[in-house]
Amino acid sequence: MIQENIANSSPKKSNYRKKNSQIKKIAGILRIILHDYRGQIGSAFIIAMVVCAIFSPWVAPFDPYEQDILNRFASPSLTHLLGTDYLGRDILSRIIYGSRVAAMVSFGSVCFSAIIGVIIGVIGGYKEGRKLDYAIILVFDIVRSFPQLILALALVAVIGPSVRNLILALAFTAFPFYGRLARAETLSVKEEDYVKAAKALGATNIQIIFKHIIPNTLSPVIVTGGMDLATMIMYEASLSFLGLGVRPPTASWGIMLRNGLTYIHASPYMIIWPALTIAIAMIGFSLFAESLRIALNPKERKLHE
Amino acid sequence: MLKYVIKRILWIVPTVLGVLILLFSLTYFLPGDPASVMLGPRATPELIEDLNHRLHLDQPVYTRLGYYILGVLRGDLGESVWSGHKVSSLIVNSLPYTIILAVCSMGLAALVGIFLGVFATIYKESIIDHLVTGISLVGVAVPDFVAACLLLLFFAVHLNLFPVLGAGEAGNIADKIHHLILPVISLAIGWIGYLSRLTRETMLEVLDSDYIRVEKAFGIPAKHIHYKYALKNAVIPIITVIGLGIGKLLGGAVLVEIIFNRPGLGKLVVDAVYARDLPVVQGGILIATLLFVLANLIADISYAYIDPRIQYE
Amino acid sequence: MNKKLLEVKNLVVEYRLGTKIMRALDNISFSIKKGEVLGIAGESGCGKSSLGLAIMRLLPRAGKISQGKILFKERNLLRLSETEMNREIRGREIAMIFQNPLHALNPVFTIETQMVDIMRFNLRYQQLNINKKNISLKDRAIELLKETGLADPEERITDYPFQFSGGMKQRVMIAMAFISNPPLLIADEPTTALDVTIEAEILALIINLVNKYKNSVLYISHDLGVISEISDRVMIIYAGKIVEMADSRSLFDDPRHPYTRALLESLPGTKTHKGRLPTIPGCVPLLDKLPKGCSFHPRCPFVEEICKKNTPEFVELATNHWVACLREGKLGRRIKCFL
Repeated sequence: MIQENIANSSPKKSNYRKKNSQIKKIAGILRIILHDYRGQIGSAFIIAMVVCAIFSPWVAPFDPYEQDILNRFASPSLTHLLGTDYLGRDILSRIIYGSRVAAMVSFGSVCFSAIIGVIIGVIGGYKEGRKLDYAIILVFDIVRSFPQLILALALVAVIGPSVRNLILALAFTAFPFYGRLARAETLSVKEEDYVKAAKALGATNIQIIFKHIIPNTLSPVIVTGGMDLATMIMYEASLSFLGLGVRPPTASWGIMLRNGLTYIHASPYMIIWPALTIAIAMIGFSLFAESLRIALNPKERKLHE
Repeated sequence: MLKYVIKRILWIVPTVLGVLILLFSLTYFLPGDPASVMLGPRATPELIEDLNHRLHLDQPVYTRLGYYILGVLRGDLGESVWSGHKVSSLIVNSLPYTIILAVCSMGLAALVGIFLGVFATIYKESIIDHLVTGISLVGVAVPDFVAACLLLLFFAVHLNLFPVLGAGEAGNIADKIHHLILPVISLAIGWIGYLSRLTRETMLEVLDSDYIRVEKAFGIPAKHIHYKYALKNAVIPIITVIGLGIGKLLGGAVLVEIIFNRPGLGKLVVDAVYARDLPVVQGGILIATLLFVLANLIADISYAYIDPRIQYE
Repeated sequence: MNKKLLEVKNLVVEYRLGTKIMRALDNISFSIKKGEVLGIAGESGCGKSSLGLAIMRLLPRAGKISQGKILFKERNLLRLSETEMNREIRGREIAMIFQNPLHALNPVFTIETQMVDIMRFNLRYQQLNINKKNISLKDRAIELLKETGLADPEERITDYPFQFSGGMKQRVMIAMAFISNPPLLIADEPTTALDVTIEAEILALIINLVNKYKNSVLYISHDLGVISEISDRVMIIYAGKIVEMADSRSLFDDPRHPYTRALLESLPGTKTHKGRLPTIPGCVPLLDKLPKGCSFHPRCPFVEEICKKNTPEFVELATNHWVACLREGKLGRRIKCFL
């Protein structure tokens, strides 16, 4: 009887049902986010930034590298809405192009560090108590011992500044945080009854890890990742500010801020606009991360109803 | 308690060892040969060979690692390639500026932040509460160096109220404080925002507890409950956060020091990075990391001290 | 001497959960005389805990007293400001002992600090002890702890709450309640969370103290055995309404409401037959989905059509014996209760 049922249940149908429920879950979460004022503002900012990043050539009024020496330090006007910098380049366009770097570095480093961190953390948690686990915890603690910015600084100084290297360096400083999260989740999930049942039915370790453990780590990892997006934007700006991030003449908000500082007596706008942009970007992402956290956390949801 | 402390300290040993190895291996990631990178364009083969010999760069890996670790344990962090001064003395000269900056900033942030947080819970749902929430949002979102630039722009350049550069005249405390104000405020803003919000949330959680309800039932006045009974419970997780925060503050201090041209550890390291002065970079980061680890350790221990439950375990 | 100490009139307590509003207490009226012990019995979720919290005005954020009056010594407590309530009533005129002592004491302060603080702010305590001015607050606290049976109070007063067991914490709470010898004591299931042996001790302690100091007590419990031991009068609550109220003897000898009868019948030891213990079929309705008419009718063995439509009124059937049942008077006497 049981064999018949197993033979008769069509695999295609169950996959469809699973995908459908997952889509519904995601749709539900999105709805909660968009109903909350934080989610609304945050999502607006993220969308604006992504649009600017992808469609910069179309959104920006000027070429960010185009110099106009005769028109340096111009105040905001109808042509140059935010003024020009020390080389006469349009500040607004440079800010729009700057969102490219910010978006790439933040999304890239968060994804990278999350994926690496989760994989290592889950492995460590799964093999709890064994030498491998201790080694993994040690590695996490060693990397976490460094102040994030300082470690990233050193790494970028050594491997050379570029967008790719920024992403790698920042990801390296961040992966232990995701690793610890994933490990903690793994420790609790692997004691659950359904995992033991799966094992008894002959599931291999890899199957258990991918089917049961990793989905459970997704929620806290996504929440942390959301908050990290804002942090990474700040680190990218910090490193570029120090000249250790993106190389000029690429437009990055951090570089623009640094230039503004150099020419602080010539034009306040070279500082104000990048500063405001960084601040607003971080506010937007933080708000989004906050609403994401509430949406993914059933306890919080009730509190904020 | 003692057992707990000892366990914690013991775990630091392999961690610090790993830190040293990591720092040491930085040289391997340098594209090209470390010596020529350090010497830059003025490198000649003789200079390169000399540097190689001085820094033991021509020896096998393990030997070099050994030299490095032994040196660190002895307190010898090498010499600056740029100036020839001992790295340790460079660091010792710059460290006080950074520490004063970090401590003052975190101290200010803790005082103001915690007070604002408690204030917000007392006047919950009122304008004051929303104001504090707004301030905290802005404070958290604006990075230290951005705040520093803006503060510099308005208060130092335009209004000319504060000095733009440096740490003040030696021996003149008032002048030093004058130079300290803007940097401290820049660093403190972010933490005031974070701490006020954290305090508010923790306090609200604590105020929901059974024992607070019992205290209310026995007629203890509301302000007394907030400032004494609830706060002491709420402070416990906050202390840990502050301890961990000092480490993050070090990162922010780097940028603030550059912006305000304070001769602290951060500026030392960054200038060394520009100058490709590897020993200074390694040494500076090592000290910064050790401070970070120390701050975390102290935070953990004071957490155990304040919460009497942990002590008796 | 027969003046009413506490008089509750038409009290309605509502809770808001999301968009739903539930009435935990629906039009409750009763009174307590000086020196009287009123027991309030009912199943979990019937709203009886809300009564104690409402009188103290300590309802959680979601709760609200939407109607009614609470007259204490002829003052309407609902008209007092929060400060007045704190300064004059809570812990002074009315003291409350809570249900779960486990987390009832602040974990980061010693017992001494917590008790002394209560005394410092308690004007009534200070008035009462004016002639004992030479005794320090700490010593007075030790005295109180001794009275509640705490062993070694001089040493234990400087300990932290986590070093105490549940029963000991409850004794501390009782000591705190008696700091100002309150005219009214509200006991909200003080023994429910304790072991059975400790439960008996604590109950005996409360009875002793009440007999000695002649406080009035509002004793809330779901345990009819405990209620019968301590109460002068008893009130049975079901789904937020009072269904029966009478002198203790009268209620247990001659329960008139079907719910009370079913409760008493379901207690082991009331009948001498073997076989299954009688239970009340069905379960307590959720307060936002109350049945129409009499709230008890789906579970009532005597239900009739009229019960499904009309709500019963509170009627005095015998002296001081009130029942809210549409079929009152028509139900026969039941077997004598052995409590």
